[in-house]
Amino acid sequence: MSQRLDPGAGARCLLMGNEAIARGALEAGVSVAAGYPGTPSSEIIENLARVAGERNLYVEWSVNEKVAMEVAAAASYAGLRSMCVMKQNGVNVGSDFLLHLALAGTRGGMIIVPCDDPGALSSINEGEARQFARLLEIPLLEPGDFQEAKDMTRWAFELSEEIRNLVMVRSVTRLSHASGTVVLGELPEPRKEARFTHTGFILDPMTGAVISAPVGYKHQQQQEKLEKATALFEVSPFNRYVGPDKPELLLITSSACYLYSVEAIRVLGVEDRVGLLKLGTTWPLPPKLVEKHLSRTDQVLIVEEVISFLEENVKVVAAERAHAIGAKTFFGKRDKTVPSTGEMNPDHVIAALAKILKIQYETAPEEYRKRGQTISFFGAPSRDLTFCPGCPHRASFWSIHNVLEMDGREGFVCGDIGCYTMALTPTGFSTLKTVHAMGSGTGVASGFGKLGQFGMDQPVLSVCGDSTFFHAAMPALVNAVHHGSRINMVVLDNGGTAMTGFQPHPGLSVDATGKQAPPISIEAICRAIGAHVENSDPFDLQDTQKKLFRLLERTDGVNVLVLRQVCSLSPQKKWKKLFEVSVREEVCLGETCGCNRMCTRIFRCPGLVWDAQKKKARIDEVICTGCGVCASVCPSGAIEKKEAA
Amino acid sequence: MKVFGPNELLNDVQKGGLCVGCGACVDLCPYFRNYRGKTSMLFPCTLAQGRCYASCPKAEVDLDELAARHWGGSYSGEPLGNYREILAARAGEKMGKGRFQGGGTVSALVTFALKRKQIDAAVLTDRKGLEPVPRLVTRPRDVAACGSSKFIAAPTLAVMNMAVREGHRRLAVVGTPCQMTAVAQMRLNPLARDDFLDPVAMAVGLFCNWALDHRALAAFLEKRLDPSRIRAMDIPPPPANVMILETADGKLEFPLDDIRPLIPQTCFICPDMTSEWSDLSVGMFEGRTGWNTLLVRTERGGALVEEARARGFLETESMPAPYTDSLAKAALQKKQRALRTATTREVLNVNQDGKRSALRVRPEVVDSILSAQ
Repeated sequence: MSQRLDPGAGARCLLMGNEAIARGALEAGVSVAAGYPGTPSSEIIENLARVAGERNLYVEWSVNEKVAMEVAAAASYAGLRSMCVMKQNGVNVGSDFLLHLALAGTRGGMIIVPCDDPGALSSINEGEARQFARLLEIPLLEPGDFQEAKDMTRWAFELSEEIRNLVMVRSVTRLSHASGTVVLGELPEPRKEARFTHTGFILDPMTGAVISAPVGYKHQQQQEKLEKATALFEVSPFNRYVGPDKPELLLITSSACYLYSVEAIRVLGVEDRVGLLKLGTTWPLPPKLVEKHLSRTDQVLIVEEVISFLEENVKVVAAERAHAIGAKTFFGKRDKTVPSTGEMNPDHVIAALAKILKIQYETAPEEYRKRGQTISFFGAPSRDLTFCPGCPHRASFWSIHNVLEMDGREGFVCGDIGCYTMALTPTGFSTLKTVHAMGSGTGVASGFGKLGQFGMDQPVLSVCGDSTFFHAAMPALVNAVHHGSRINMVVLDNGGTAMTGFQPHPGLSVDATGKQAPPISIEAICRAIGAHVENSDPFDLQDTQKKLFRLLERTDGVNVLVLRQVCSLSPQKKWKKLFEVSVREEVCLGETCGCNRMCTRIFRCPGLVWDAQKKKARIDEVICTGCGVCASVCPSGAIEKKEAA
Repeated sequence: MKVFGPNELLNDVQKGGLCVGCGACVDLCPYFRNYRGKTSMLFPCTLAQGRCYASCPKAEVDLDELAARHWGGSYSGEPLGNYREILAARAGEKMGKGRFQGGGTVSALVTFALKRKQIDAAVLTDRKGLEPVPRLVTRPRDVAACGSSKFIAAPTLAVMNMAVREGHRRLAVVGTPCQMTAVAQMRLNPLARDDFLDPVAMAVGLFCNWALDHRALAAFLEKRLDPSRIRAMDIPPPPANVMILETADGKLEFPLDDIRPLIPQTCFICPDMTSEWSDLSVGMFEGRTGWNTLLVRTERGGALVEEARARGFLETESMPAPYTDSLAKAALQKKQRALRTATTREVLNVNQDGKRSALRVRPEVVDSILSAQ
C-alpha cells in the first residue's frame, strides 16, 4: 500500500482507518511499533512492518500485549517515539505494566492504540479500553473520522512528549475497518539515535532511573500531567460544535458515533433544533468547554458505544457546574434512550432523537418491515459459523469429539481464543465447553484437573492454538505440571496466527518484517516443563485418535498432543491440493441406514454438497482444498482421494 | 417386530441402562461405537427406523415373532428353548488334546467349518489381557486362540457388522445369548431391504448366566493386579463360589460376592441362559471336566455336528437325563428371575401410551414360566 509513503504531503487518499493511524504514526516519526494481532487492530502493525526497512522502523509482533507495551516503552525511554497496538482486551493483558508505566512516565512520545469491537463482531467480548484511560490516569483521544484517525495519532505523540506520559488513541471496528478520504501530511526524516540515559538524579524523569516510586510523588506528578493535557484539550480542534446557538437538544458524541449522529440529524432534518458537540479528547473532559456547550440548552443526549463512559463524565461536569448552568435533563444509556450494549448505528440515534423531539419517524414502512422479516425467516437458509473447507480444526475436533464420546466418561474440552473457538458450535461438533481469554483454556483445565479429590473423574482436555500457546498458555501449563493436575492439552498448531491473518509468532522462522528468526519448538518447551508430549497430523484421523486414547488412558501427569497441519488459507498452502477427491455415487449410501448423510449432515465441510435430486453427496471442486479427510470420514468408502498431480 | 430408530435406542437402551455392549448396533453406521466395552452414540442420527434398533437384543424383542420366523409356531417358554438333541461333546482327536478350558467343542466346530469351507470367516472373541477383543478369523489355525471363557460383555457383533460391510456372506458367529438374539433379529431383514442377504451361515451360542461389565471389572482388578498379565478366567460350578484368574504370576481367586456387583443390571432381565436363538448352543458340562454340553437346534447345526464327528473333529456322547434336568432347572430360574425383574423395571410387555418395551412375551407364557417348578 503505497499511500503510506506516497504520494506525498497534501495528497488526498482513500485510507482504511487502520492505515490512517499507521500513516499518522509515520508522520509523527514513530521509530518502534509493537503489538499482538487482534481484530480489528492488526492492519496497523502490518502496514508499519511493510515500510520498516524504508523508514528505519523497528516493528514486531510481540508474544503478547504486555510484552508489546514493554518493548514500546523501552524505545520511549531511549528517546524514540513508539507505539503499541492491540484489540480492546489486549489492554487488559498489559494493564499491570501500564499502571506502572503511567506512574513512571515516558520520555520519547509513546502512544497506545487499542481498537475496540463494539457489538463483538470479531470478538467474544465487547470490552472497553476507554475505562483504562481513567483507571491509568492518562489522556484519551477518540478519532471521529479517517482524517482525524491520522491527525490525532500524529498529535498524540506530541501530546505525549508535552506531558511526558503515555497517551491512548482509541479506535473502533467501524473506523479501523472502514475507509475514507485522508489528506496526507509531511513525513519527517527517520530517527536514527537511541540512548537510554540513566545516570541522572533518581527522581529526574528524563535522566534518572525509571520507576513508579515514590508513589505519592509520582502520582502527584502524573495528575499534574493530566491537568496539562486538560488545558490543551480546552482548545483542541478535535472538539467541535455544529448547530444553533441555543438548540432544543445538545447531542454529545465521540468516535464513529459522530458519523452516525451527523447522519441521523440530517435524515430527520433537525439541524436547526439539535446542536452537535463532537468530542475528540474524551478523558479527561475539558470542563470549561463542556460547561460552555451545556449552557446552550437544558436537554442533553449522549451517544456512545457500549458503556456510559462519556455520559457519566459529562454528568460529573454538569453536577459540578449545576449552580452556574442549571439542572439538565440527560438522555443516554442510563435512561435507556439508546441501547446499552452492542454497536451504535444511525437508526438508534434517529430513534433517540425522534423520541426526544417527538417526531413521528419510521425507519421502514410497517408492511415492508413485516415482509422482510417473513422472507428472511422462511426464505433464507440458515448459515452457521463454519470452519473453512479443509480446515485442520474440523479434523482435530472430529477426533477429539469422537474419542471423548467413545471414552464415555463425560470428558470435556476447555477452549481458547482463535478460529477454533468456533468448536463451541456444530462446525466443531460442539466440543468446547468453556471459553474465556487467551490462554485460559489450559488454566481452567488445570483447575478442573485438581478436582479428583472431590470425586471428579471426568477426563479434562484443553485446546490452544500455536500463537495462543506462546501468548498465555505456557504459564498455565507450568501451573498444571507443577501441581500435578490431570489434564491433556491439545495444541492446534496451524502454522501462524491464522484468525487475524497469518501474523508470525515465536514458533515460526520469520518475524513481522519477514526477516529470519529462530523458531521455538512447542514440543521442546512442553517437554522441558515436564509434560508427556506426542504429536500427530490431524488429517490422519486414525493416528490422532489412537494417540488421544493413549493420553486419556495415562493415569498421571500432564499430557500434550501437538496436532500440526497448516491452515488451508495460509499463503503457502492456498490453491495447493493434497488430493483430488471424488464421490463414487454407486457406493454412496446417502440418507439410508448405514450413513444418513454423515458427510453433509454432521462433518459438514463446505466442500461437500448434498445433491438433493440424486440423493448422493458430491464434492464442490471449486472450494475443496483436497485435504482428503472426508474420505476417512465416509463410512462406506464412497469418497475417494487420489494424490493430486 | 416394532422397529424404531437410533434416538429411541439411545433413549431406551443406552440411557435406560439396558445396553450390555454386545456390539449389534456398532459399526453398522458411523454413529454407534464401542470402546472398552461401552457403546456410545457419537452424533445424532435422524432416521425413524434403523438396523441398530432392529437388531438390539434389549429393544422390542418379541419372542413370539422370533419363534415364528425361526422355528415356526409360538414361543413356549421351554427352559432350554427349541432343540433337536442334547449331547455331551468335546473336540475330537483331529483337534489335539488338553488345550481347551472346557471341551473345545466350539473351537472344533468352527475350525471344521472353516476347513470344510462351509463358512468363509468366523466372528470370535479373543483376549488381550483383561479386554475381550472381537476378531474376524479366516484361518482355521487361528480359531483355538479365541477359545476360553471371557465372562465379560464384549462388542463381538461389531466385527460381524464390519465383516458384512466388507462383503462377507457366509459367517459363523460365536456369541452369548444376547448376541444370538441380536443375530436372530438381524437375520429377519427387519427393514425389509431388497438387497438383504442373510450373512450368517452358522450361529453358535454360548451358555451364559451373566457377564461382567468390562470397565467395572477393570477398575476392580486394577487395584489388585496388573490386568495385562491375565491369561484365563474361570468361574467353577457351585459350591465353589469364586472367580479364578490365571495370570502370568499364578492363580488368583476372588469371592463371587465381590464380583457380582460388577454384573451389568441389564443381565438380570435376560431370559435366555442357553442361547436359544442359535443353530448350536454350547456350555460347560458341569461335573464332567473336559466336556461340553451341546444343544443342536437346527438342521444345519445338526449337519455340521454330524460331519465334524464323522471327520474326527468332534466327539459326542449322549447326555445323561439328570444333567439335562438340572440344566433346565437352572435355565428356568434365569427365566423366572428375568421376567420378574423386567416386570418390576417396566420393560416387559409395555403397551400403554405408545411406550416401548425391551421384551415381549405372551402373558400366558409369562404366567406359565413364573408358575413352573
